This record gives sequence, structure tokens and C-alpha cells, in this order.
Amino acid sequence: MNTTQSSGKRPWTAGPTEKVFEVYIKTTPERLWEAITDAETRSKYGFGARVESEWTPGSHYRLSSGDFPLAEGENLEVDPPLRLVQSFTALWREEVKAEGTSRVTWEIEPVEDSCRLTVTHDRLRDNANSELYGGWPMILSGLKTLLETGETLTTPGSLRWSIPDDRSQAPASDRA
Amino acid sequence: MDTIFKALADPTRRDLLDELFAEDGQTLSALERRLPMTRFGVMKHLKVLEQAGLVTTRRRGREKLHFLNPVPIRLIHDRWVSKYAEPWAATLSELKTRLEEEPR
Repeated sequence: MNTTQSSGKRPWTAGPTEKVFEVYIKTTPERLWEAITDAETRSKYGFGARVESEWTPGSHYRLSSGDFPLAEGENLEVDPPLRLVQSFTALWREEVKAEGTSRVTWEIEPVEDSCRLTVTHDRLRDNANSELYGGWPMILSGLKTLLETGETLTTPGSLRWSIPDDRSQAPASDRA
Repeated sequence: MDTIFKALADPTRRDLLDELFAEDGQTLSALERRLPMTRFGVMKHLKVLEQAGLVTTRRRGREKLHFLNPVPIRLIHDRWVSKYAEPWAATLSELKTRLEEEPR
């Protein structure tokens, strides 16, 4: 397989498994890019997690719920508003932490009045814990709903990591 | 959404999705070996699944790999199923969350 890891730096744990998630969203690439990279917008879908980063190539990003870290990694390629490649280390449980570092690629392609968003989660090890990538369909469904209707999903669990404003300092154990 | 329901309405196509769920990123030849069907038949069904967005493809050198895209099924769930199942699912989901979070 041809890959471009020219820097010699391989943050991921060289797993062969790849998962692809694709959705069409009626929006512009710019709005979609903002929804992926803006902490406030991101917290309205994606299980309610907030994302923090400077979004420059090589910068660090962190997904969290209050003080509780959910995932982190490096922004390997940042090409707004079309392409974002990130290393990904899940932190929400010991079991997923032990899975090591994989890679997430966001690709936005304008199609008529919509965008095709493809999220490729690869460099997963064989038989990787499905928790690592199992959340993507709900995240993308929530993102589509938010951008097309301005509403958040009401599906149980879809905002499980969100923290009401007045409780933003509450410890993680209070959340459930 | 019609295309998704239509794609899912055929048992062979559901088998194909199950095959990809079990092992993602398969070639047409690999899928053909797993189903009692001609290559043309498998191709035809894969095309319906692709048009419904349930299968996406990637080129790897000379090979075309097929991946299960579960997002449309999630969209159906969030649009239809969760609405009707919510009172039950919410309770179970909370219970699951609580039980799983207890050790922390």
C-alpha cells in the first residue's frame, strides 16, 4: 500500500483496518468546516464533546467533556475547507486507550447544492474495539441534522457527553 | 430514503452488507466467492447498495474495494426508529450508561 508518511514519523500503530463513513449534507464546505472545527458547534452533535485546537498543521487537538478527556491527537494535514487529517487516540475508557493511535481523515467535496462528507477512520488494528469507530454514524447523523435543520438529535445518547452551561465545571461522575 | 429502504428490502443485499460488516473493504471477487450467485448478480446488487449510499468504494491499485457505509441506516434510525422506540430506549440507554460508568 502506498502511503505518504515521508516524515518518518508514524504516530499510529500501523493497523490495517479501515472504516469509511459517508454522508451528504445540504450546506457549503465553509459551514461544514466550521461545524467540524468550532468548539461550540461541535458540542451540539458528536455526543456533545467539545473540540479545542489551533487548527494549524502539526497542532494538537483535544476532545473533552468538561475536565474529562475523550480523545486527542495531532492535526497532520489542515486544508480548509476541504480536508483534515488527524491522528486519533481515544481516551474515554482504559479499553479504548489501549487501542493506541489511529487516523481520521475528513474529506469535504461539494456536490451541486450539497457536500459529500467522507470520514475515513483507518490505521485501526485488526479486530479493533468497535467503540473506537462505532460512534461515527451517530456523529454524522447529528451533524447533518444540525446543519440542515438547526436542531440537535433527540436520539438517546446522542449528546451523552454534553454539559449544561450552568454545570460546565461539574465533575465527570455527575454527568450521567 | 426510498432508495435505502428498497436496497434493504432484498435478502441478498442484506447478506452483502453482513459480509462487509464482518470484513470491510472486500473486492467483487471476494464477495462473489461468499455468495451463491454469479458475478453479474453480485455486481448488480452492489450497484443498488452503492446508489443507496450503503456501500462506498475505494480504488487500491488495480482493485476496487467495497466498504459498508452505516450512516444511512443511522439516519433512518434517528429519523424513524428512535422516535417510536424512545421511551424504552432512553431508559435502557441511561441504565447502560450508568452501569458502565460506575467503575470510574
